[in-house]
Amino acid sequence: MNTIAKWLASDADPAFRKRTLFGIGSFLLPMLVWSMVSYVPWVWHPKMEITNPGGVDFLQVGMLVDKSMFRDQVADMEKQHLAVPQGTPANPIYLPAPDQVAKALYNGIFHPPKDTDVPSMPASLWHSIQVIFWGFLISSVIGVPLGILSGTYKSFGRLTEPFIEFFRYLPAPAFGALAVAILGIYDGPKIAIIVIGTLFQQVLIIANTTRKLETTLIEAARTLGTRNFKLLTRVVVPGIMPDLYRDQRILLGWAWTYLIVAELIGTSTGITWFITQQARYQHFDNVYAGIITIGILGFGTDLVLARLGRKLFPWDRTQDRS
Amino acid sequence: MNKTIKTVFNMVAGAAFLSMSASALAEPLKIGYSDWPGWVAWQVAIDKGWFKQAGVDVKFEWFDYSASMDAYSAGKIDGVLMTNGDALVTGSAGGKSKMIMLTDYSDGNDMIVAKPGIKSLKELKGKKVAVEEGLVEHLLLLDGLKKAGMKPSDVTLVNAKTNSMPQVLGSGEVAAIGAWQPVAGEAMRALPGSRPIYTSADEPGLIYDVLAVSPASAAMHKAEWLKVLKVWDRVVHYINDPKTQPDAVKIMAARVGVSPATYLPLLKGTHLLDLAAGKKIFAAKTGFGSLYGSSKVADDFNVANGVYKTHQDLNDYIDGALMKAVK
Repeated sequence: MNTIAKWLASDADPAFRKRTLFGIGSFLLPMLVWSMVSYVPWVWHPKMEITNPGGVDFLQVGMLVDKSMFRDQVADMEKQHLAVPQGTPANPIYLPAPDQVAKALYNGIFHPPKDTDVPSMPASLWHSIQVIFWGFLISSVIGVPLGILSGTYKSFGRLTEPFIEFFRYLPAPAFGALAVAILGIYDGPKIAIIVIGTLFQQVLIIANTTRKLETTLIEAARTLGTRNFKLLTRVVVPGIMPDLYRDQRILLGWAWTYLIVAELIGTSTGITWFITQQARYQHFDNVYAGIITIGILGFGTDLVLARLGRKLFPWDRTQDRS
Repeated sequence: MNKTIKTVFNMVAGAAFLSMSASALAEPLKIGYSDWPGWVAWQVAIDKGWFKQAGVDVKFEWFDYSASMDAYSAGKIDGVLMTNGDALVTGSAGGKSKMIMLTDYSDGNDMIVAKPGIKSLKELKGKKVAVEEGLVEHLLLLDGLKKAGMKPSDVTLVNAKTNSMPQVLGSGEVAAIGAWQPVAGEAMRALPGSRPIYTSADEPGLIYDVLAVSPASAAMHKAEWLKVLKVWDRVVHYINDPKTQPDAVKIMAARVGVSPATYLPLLKGTHLLDLAAGKKIFAAKTGFGSLYGSSKVADDFNVANGVYKTHQDLNDYIDGALMKAVK
């Protein structure tokens, strides 16, 4: 008990090993829950998978039925002195077991279907990455300068922010049909939806970050004669850089969440196409494989960016913690 | 330095001009298709390169069904595969089109599925039925009720998205749902004992699936569309021939990402129409044996249910000239 308390208390300055252990644990715990639900027959398993239909005419081998219905049918058959249906406890088709998903993931990456022009899972994912890249880049090219300006100059902020506050509540996917009409059916409208979804939050968040820059810094610079553009490039931007970097990391995650709606617009492409197509025919092992790839990719990118952040801004201690 | 900039500029401008003029000269016909067996059938021609053999440049774009109609309305594609009823709906909102050929009619793939214990439409009296209002299953239900001698008011409609029907039926809150395949099959698997009580096989021709193209493209590219029609004839014969059917089903199953064995039943619920069969249906008659008769029913249904306000002129939509021109 004492050791656990010590462990948890050590959070403020965790040794690398402990940190790694916690990190692995945070993944192991959900995995453990998932495995328990999947493999331990008396945990959940609300359905029965029929192994032998017995005398019930509408049952088939492999069919999933509710347990209560299964019991009714067993009682019914016993009463009629007919063969009793048999089955094993099972989960709904919507929750595949970890090994099924792992297998689907492996097959999706290493054994994609051949002899067809239908995109494979890696190809779909690559398409999605490109859409995200352009969407986030365009959003940043507009959003970052706008945010910095809004945060630095009060009057500029007052001119832009009320409208942006308003616009950020409008649901980005609702602009889908308009985006198709203007930008065509390929990646244009998808990128546009990601931009619409990300840009407005981006301006506000970055403006806020800029405002948090210590006023003493700006005042000192002004006293020393720094003006206008130079104030921006020499004081404000270097001052907020580490926080700006972290904001961008969070916003990139934001862009990913818009990907799923963006890719439903225009032609069906990317990882969303893969996921929805597989879901339509109930291949939920493939669906979860697709979802997990997005997770791995997003998390992986963020890890790399976090590490890069520590290299780029060694003086900023907060980069260590995020 | 200055010179390099100039050269680069010239190259860029030249490339832009070239690509523009190239696209104006030889833009392929763009056709939107989606996940319905009668349309996935085109994949056979695409994979086998039959369009190239026929000397016509077409590009098929894979969409979600409603997204394909949006893209068509926005003028981004030349043709789209949809139901005759949806062609009218799309047209009423400005996306006018000409139905130039039929791909199939639904022959059991659209269905009203009732929960266990209910075996006929008559037993639905006074109960709740979930359909996506204004879409084909709604029409199918009304058609069935009429045949069973019932009034639309004999059931209470619950509006729900077609994709969510398996969960709606499973909830036990409704007595029946309307859905097409593969959603209907999913619903029946999710609730064993539930069964279809009325399907499009009971009223063949209620729902026709058509290739609808923009009036401008139909007028300007007659020769190309004619070639597309001929390729379709080849596709139907390839799929229906028992010798080549396994290969065709393999191609189609790969397009939607299932095994051929899973796909075969879905194909069976769709009655593909070659050009000879299509020609007969293009004849102007009343009743479900004719595209006119079927579209008239859809038009009345759409107006009655407020999908759009004024009746559409069917002669604007149905263009049998190309079908006639095929020898």
